[in-house]
Amino acid sequence: MNWDQLQTILWLRWRLARNQWTRGKGVGAVIAGIVAVGACVMGGVSFVVALLGGIYGLREAKAIVLWEVWCGVMVAFLFFWMVGLLQELQRSETIDLQRLMHLPVALGQMFVINYIASLFALSIVIVVPAMMGLALGLSIARGAAMLLLAPLALGLIFTVSAWTYCLRGWLATLMSNPRRRRNVTMVIVLGFILLAQTPNLYFNVFRHIDRPVPGATPEEARRQREARKTANQAQFDQLLAVQKFIPPLWLPAGAQALGDGRAWPALFGTFGFCAIGALGLRRAYQGTLRFYLGETGRKVMARVEPNRMPAAAAGPAKSGRRFLELRVPGVPEQSAALALATFRSMLRAPEVKIAWGSSFLVPLVVGGSLLIRSNLKVPEAAKPFIATGAVAFSIFMLIQFFGNQFGFDRDGFRALVLSPAERKLILLGKNLAFLPVGVIGGMMLLVLSSVRLHPPPLVFVAAMLQLAAILLLAGLVGNVCSILVPYRIQQGSMKPTKMPGLAIVTILVCQMLFPIAMAPAFVPPLAEYLWRKAGWPTAVPVNLILSAILAAVLALVYWQTLGPMGRLLRRRETRILGIVTVEVE
Amino acid sequence: MSVSLPCRIDAMNPAIETSNLTRDFGNFRAVNQLNLRVEAGRFYGFLGPNGAGKSTTIKMFTGLLAPSGGTMRILGQDMSDARRALEVKRHIGVVPENLALFDNLTAREHLTFIGRMYLLPPATVRARCDELLAMMDLAHEEKKLTLEFSHGMKKKLALAAALIPNPDLLFLDEPFEGVDAVASRVLRDTLKQCVGRGATVFLTSHVLEIVERLCTDVGIIAHGELVHQGTMEELRRAGSLEDKFLAVVGEEGHEAQKLSWLE
Repeated sequence: MNWDQLQTILWLRWRLARNQWTRGKGVGAVIAGIVAVGACVMGGVSFVVALLGGIYGLREAKAIVLWEVWCGVMVAFLFFWMVGLLQELQRSETIDLQRLMHLPVALGQMFVINYIASLFALSIVIVVPAMMGLALGLSIARGAAMLLLAPLALGLIFTVSAWTYCLRGWLATLMSNPRRRRNVTMVIVLGFILLAQTPNLYFNVFRHIDRPVPGATPEEARRQREARKTANQAQFDQLLAVQKFIPPLWLPAGAQALGDGRAWPALFGTFGFCAIGALGLRRAYQGTLRFYLGETGRKVMARVEPNRMPAAAAGPAKSGRRFLELRVPGVPEQSAALALATFRSMLRAPEVKIAWGSSFLVPLVVGGSLLIRSNLKVPEAAKPFIATGAVAFSIFMLIQFFGNQFGFDRDGFRALVLSPAERKLILLGKNLAFLPVGVIGGMMLLVLSSVRLHPPPLVFVAAMLQLAAILLLAGLVGNVCSILVPYRIQQGSMKPTKMPGLAIVTILVCQMLFPIAMAPAFVPPLAEYLWRKAGWPTAVPVNLILSAILAAVLALVYWQTLGPMGRLLRRRETRILGIVTVEVE
Repeated sequence: MSVSLPCRIDAMNPAIETSNLTRDFGNFRAVNQLNLRVEAGRFYGFLGPNGAGKSTTIKMFTGLLAPSGGTMRILGQDMSDARRALEVKRHIGVVPENLALFDNLTAREHLTFIGRMYLLPPATVRARCDELLAMMDLAHEEKKLTLEFSHGMKKKLALAAALIPNPDLLFLDEPFEGVDAVASRVLRDTLKQCVGRGATVFLTSHVLEIVERLCTDVGIIAHGELVHQGTMEELRRAGSLEDKFLAVVGEEGHEAQKLSWLE
């Protein structure tokens, strides 16, 4: 590859990134510009701050403090790097070999240039200057030996980027099938979500178990605190003892050793990083070569083929056929067909599974930690509000689905425009498709809160009616938003695309106002609270009665507005089609 | 496949009739005052070079795009009347340019969904799904989602979806593009069968041979304007379809374009 080709490939990389940033035009381009400039500025600022911190803040610091600081830098880098990796996996336009190998460039050259291009990441732009600044600052303040931290830090980056590149190559091979690609992406994203929840679980659940038992004497509490402190110190000492076997910790270990005046750990760490990184690159290249020669594909086919053939010979997928053919009592045929098709379709989309899974997972984590807190005291008057809040929260997690019902259809929306179904039946079908998730999520959270709070049975029943009311409200507001401000969701991700700046602002406002629309659900518990406050008879179940009335009124309003909403959809359906499909007129 | 829809459409009317039909995209006029008439029971080929306005015209006929001006009557019904337009949709089958498939459904599920949207009885939906999947050679790919289909397979599924309601009028935008030779043959026979029982087929294609072999009528559009309309017999008398096509869309321009380094 000559210099002109190298320049061209770098230009291509830049152009793809630029086009992706500025695709939204207007506000989107401005935001992208701010992000790009902001990243550069942050890189400069992080260098200066780290330099000054190294010179003045860590001049006299103990070696263990250096360990902690570099550990923080390492964690920050790995976190940003993982976020970048997730974005990269979801990106549709990458420079892959198949797009370039017909050009006069060698495979090895393409491999190297692709690897170098992968280093232009936000995490590196921000964190590397900080690492270099800190190493420089420490060397000024504590001696030139501290400069060894610079190659050590670069070695970490080399190792992480090389193995990430290897992982990406493996994933690219694995994800040559679009369905598998989405599943892999889903597993990675879900893993990331769970990883991000670890601190929450650790501090709110596990650490909380260790806290003093309520009612313990001050002496007992002091003893427990000391015992916990000793246990924590023992754990930390264990970590320090084994850190030489954990490569990412070689960076803080090197800093700690340099703080103690020992240079060898940093040197060994640098060599270790270089060796592991080189191994990663070698494996990545071997993977690339196998992919290019088609060997990996054959392995995959060999694994897939025996399973596929009998399944194909077995005839129609009976379970799928039965589900789509189900009749829903009391629901018009076309609405039922659309509800079932949408539900089945959404359940198969990994990105939707992630979002729905999160909407179950987040309440579970929050509710779980709530349950474990044994010293939680909730006033009796607050219980109805908590029950209402629980069901409202579960629906709040589904806003993006209710508020953009056609965005996930993409080209499938064309089938709805072409269909002879009345538009109000299409809206009904779409709303019904989200009903199971809304009901299950709401009931789950309601039951979870009830297990811990023991609200009166009437509050539980009232909350169930409020759940019905909130679902109707979500349907009402969601229909308006879906018709007036639809946006396309990129396949395989929850990322909105084709969004002009004004649409972004409108959607943000709509989504912020959506929770306000849920406010009527809080009227029944509020009315009961005021009723009791006024000293009127407590035997009257105000919350229950008003919840029933609210649900009935909203059902009526929903039914009455379905016709006009359907007409609005009919008027705007071609415009919605232009937005949610890839087609550009 | 003998179940027919309750038809309130007058068969004596032309299947398609437009008057000054126009569509603008900003300052660009994609279709300019189109006056088209397609009689019922005909096999109509709508030809034109890339960007001539063929797909835009089909989109307007099928309700995927609103016209900027003019009127159109499909199966005798005024399409500007929303209720009538919905009624017309019960009698038409469409294969649009960018297809209309749900990514996360299998072929059978998609066909079942479309059949139910046309209010076909469950037994009919099942029977037609079986026949169409077998005919399009998609029966052995039932576990695959449409997302995993090749372009040709997607096209075949879209064709099956257009045929499932047994429509009186079929709009097909490039139906043979990306379809293998076997399916293409089966499709041609099926379309002939549709026309044979009185249905109208309106298709666009770049393959002039197919149009010449199948169609009874031809319309040629260039720069958004209808530059020729007539029967295939009239056309054959004047020469081949290719000659006529090149003559009306501007053959001279192509003659002048030669690459300097190849001379």
